[in-house]
Parts: sequence; structure tokens; C-alpha cells
Amino acid sequence: MNVRSTYEQELASLQDEVFNLGKEVIQTFERAMELLDKGKGHLLQDIIDYDKVINKKELEIHDKATLMIAKQQPVATDLRTTIVALKISSDLERVGDLSIDIIKASRRMTAFQPEHKIEEMREMASIAVSMLDRALSAYKHKDLMTAQQIAVLDDKVDAKYKMFVRGLFAMSIEQNEIENIAQLAFIGRYIERIADYATNLAEWIVYEQNGQHFDLN
Amino acid sequence: MQSEKKRDTMLQTEDNRSTNQVKKETSNVYKVDKLNLWYGKDQALKDITLDIPEKTVTAIIGPSGCGKSTFIKTLNRLTEMVPIVKTSGEVYYRDNNIFNKKFSVEKLRTKVGMVFQKPNPFPKSIYENVVYGPRIHGIKDKKVLDEIVERSLKDAALWDEVKDRLKENAFGLSGGQQQRLCIARCLAIEPDVLLMDEPTSALDPISTLKIEELVQELKKKYSIIIVTHNMQQAGRISDRTAFFLNGEVVEYDDTSNIFSSPQDQRTEDYVSGRFG
Repeated sequence: MNVRSTYEQELASLQDEVFNLGKEVIQTFERAMELLDKGKGHLLQDIIDYDKVINKKELEIHDKATLMIAKQQPVATDLRTTIVALKISSDLERVGDLSIDIIKASRRMTAFQPEHKIEEMREMASIAVSMLDRALSAYKHKDLMTAQQIAVLDDKVDAKYKMFVRGLFAMSIEQNEIENIAQLAFIGRYIERIADYATNLAEWIVYEQNGQHFDLN
Repeated sequence: MQSEKKRDTMLQTEDNRSTNQVKKETSNVYKVDKLNLWYGKDQALKDITLDIPEKTVTAIIGPSGCGKSTFIKTLNRLTEMVPIVKTSGEVYYRDNNIFNKKFSVEKLRTKVGMVFQKPNPFPKSIYENVVYGPRIHGIKDKKVLDEIVERSLKDAALWDEVKDRLKENAFGLSGGQQQRLCIARCLAIEPDVLLMDEPTSALDPISTLKIEELVQELKKKYSIIIVTHNMQQAGRISDRTAFFLNGEVVEYDDTSNIFSSPQDQRTEDYVSGRFG
């Protein structure tokens, strides 16, 4: 007889909720990137409203984990699993917030839309989405190898971001679009931060599995 | 480059942290080397090798029948009172082999006191309980005995509760007070080590916490080895924890490691309540 089966079910359900939160956050991020295309402005309020749902879900996970710590007094892997659920859900919630920041910055831009810069941002965002996807998969399957690959992808995003910012500096000299270029810089920075959060997720997954902290950023 | 190196080592689970030998610059109060013990044909302890540092709290945990009580009883040679017991291996207390015939068991038990699961005061007054040991050691001076009673009861965090009724029978005390009296009785002969065999399992939660607080105070002066079934208690009060299973030490490490990331799956399963 497994004497901890009820508790194990509670833990599994907590992890499922974190995984589902992650999927919803990724969707928000992808939709925020779609809004860079001016034709989809009608989606704006939907996404901002949905972020409130994400925030609420993150708090529900927080409350559930706190109650489990109080009631079950977990130790060792059980404790790390609970703590990691808290940490990952709050990192995911930040990704949701950054997605909203992307939308707000893109709304502040006027007609100035340098296609090659938008494309560079989409490439960065595509890698960041892949990192988040892999992090969630690694979280679900307790897969350290995948967690390690995420760190490699973060290096790619960092390199692209560096080139992106360098290009913006050059543009700011050539064109009289400082405000729009600043918004582009903000969006690039938000995407780069989202990739950093995905790397944080990988670090928490490693911690959950072997109890050690690694700085992958 | 540095981060790549970190990532390479990230997946390695090899860990050289856990060791039965204490490496810190502290003295060891006990050094146990390949201790085996049999009750008749049944082997209760198998090749136990570990060092116990002084002025720390060492918790012994494990499921019923794993040998933890047998182990601490061996540390002051209580097990040899059972006729069918046989032992092999060495146990050194302060570098003296306790099994050596030249080493007196009385001297050992003067230095190594023991507190049991159920409080067991003598059917005498509180005062007489405390002075029982010192009297056996020949102390007769009333003033000295009074001083011993006050010091021991203060060290056992009981003085304020009983100072006005020292002549009353110890059986009138609550269970938690009786247990602290038993601790005071040990302290009266100024021991070096306190062995505690599930000292709070018969007590209510508040009495339990009082004993736990007391243990934290006592470790400043004494080395404490405590057997406990209460995982949270081991986590709260001990510095080192040894996990026993089927007569063997499965893992012995800093308590923080045992309860956060144990190295052996059996330890993990036990401390997280999967068995035992």
C-alpha cells in the first residue's frame, strides 16, 4: 500500500496546473507577437483580459502549494517539487506580464515598421517560444537533457538581441524615428527577458531533480 | 566557457558529499568502527562505521526494528546486559575502546547518561531524584548537593516550575516535567554525552517542544545522540542524521542534506513518509 498516494495525487495535480499555466502563457506571448502586425489590433483587449486570468491562476497555484506545505510538511524531492511549482508559476506569470508589455510597446509605435527589424524580433520570439515549450516538456517529463538544451538556445537569443540592438543604433543615426526605435528596443528587450525566464525554468527543473543550483544564464 | 563547463557538470549526479566520517575540525566523542551485534543468531547491527562529533545533536532515524535503539544502547554498553548478545568491531568513546576490559563500564555510564522513551523517575522526591547519582559518587555535603540540584534543574529548564516543591514526590509532576527531571538526573553527575531514546514520544506537543528547546541549549555543553521516530523533530533539532535500515547505516550526513536532498533513494522514501 502506498501510504502517500493522496498526497502524490495532489502533487501531480499541482504540476499539471503549472504545465497548463505555461501553455496559456506561451499562447499569450505568441498572440502578443501577432499584434506587431497592425491588422490584428482587435485582439488587444482579449489578450490583456486573459492576462488577468493568468495572474489569478498563478495565485491559485501559490495558495495550493502553501496549503500543501502546511498540511503535508514535505521534505526532500516532495519539498523541491512544491517549491519549484511556486517558482516556475511565478516566472511564467512574469512571461505573461512581459507579453503584455510587448503589446503596449507595439501599440505606441506609429506607422514606422521596418520589416527587417520586425523579422529579427519574430526570429528571437520564435526561439523563445521553443525554449518555453521545451522547458514545459522538460518539467513534465523530468528531463534534464532538454533543460540543458534550453541554455544553449538562450545563448542564440542573446546573440541575436545583441545584433538587433546594434542595428537599432545604426538606424537611429540614419532616421528621425527615435521614439519608434526606442519602442522596438523595448520589445527586443522584453523578448530577450522572456528567453531568460525560460532559462530560469530550466534551472528550477535541474534543482527539482538533483537539488543543485546552476546558473545557466 | 565557464557556463558551458557548468552545464556539462549539471547532469552529473555523482556526489562525494556524503560521508560517515566527520571531516570538520571538531573532536569526535564517539568513533564506531565496523560494529556488528547479534541477538542470538539474529544480526541487529551490521558493520556500523561512523564518527559522532562532540557538542552537536546527532539524530538516529529509521523504521521500527532497524537497530537504532540497539545502537545507542551499545554506546553505553547497556546491550551487554542481554545474555544472548554478541558483538564484534570497535566503539571508541574519547579514544577509549569501550569493549576493552580495562575500561570500566561504571566510568563510561558516568560520562554517558541516558534518557528513555517513558519518563522513569524514582518513587522519591524531586530533590532525591536529582541527588541520587551524586550521592552514589560519595557526595554528602548538603550545600554541594543543593547546588547540584539547582544547577541540574536549571540546565533541564525545570527549576522555575519546581523550586518551591522540591520535597514533593516526582510522580506528581506532569509527563513532560518528569522527562525533564530525568534529564536533570543525568546532568547531576556532569556527563559528557546524553543518549536519548525517543524522549518525547510519550509527551504532548508543548512538552515535546520544551524538550526540543532544551536539547538546543544542552548541546552547548553536552554531546547529544537522539533516537526519534519524528522526522520533523530530527529536522528541527539535529545537526547530523544517520538513517538506519535493517541494521545498516544507509546514509549519514548533515541533517540539512538528509532532509533536502538525500543521496540514497531509501533515505528519500523514508524521510518523505513512503515507508516506515
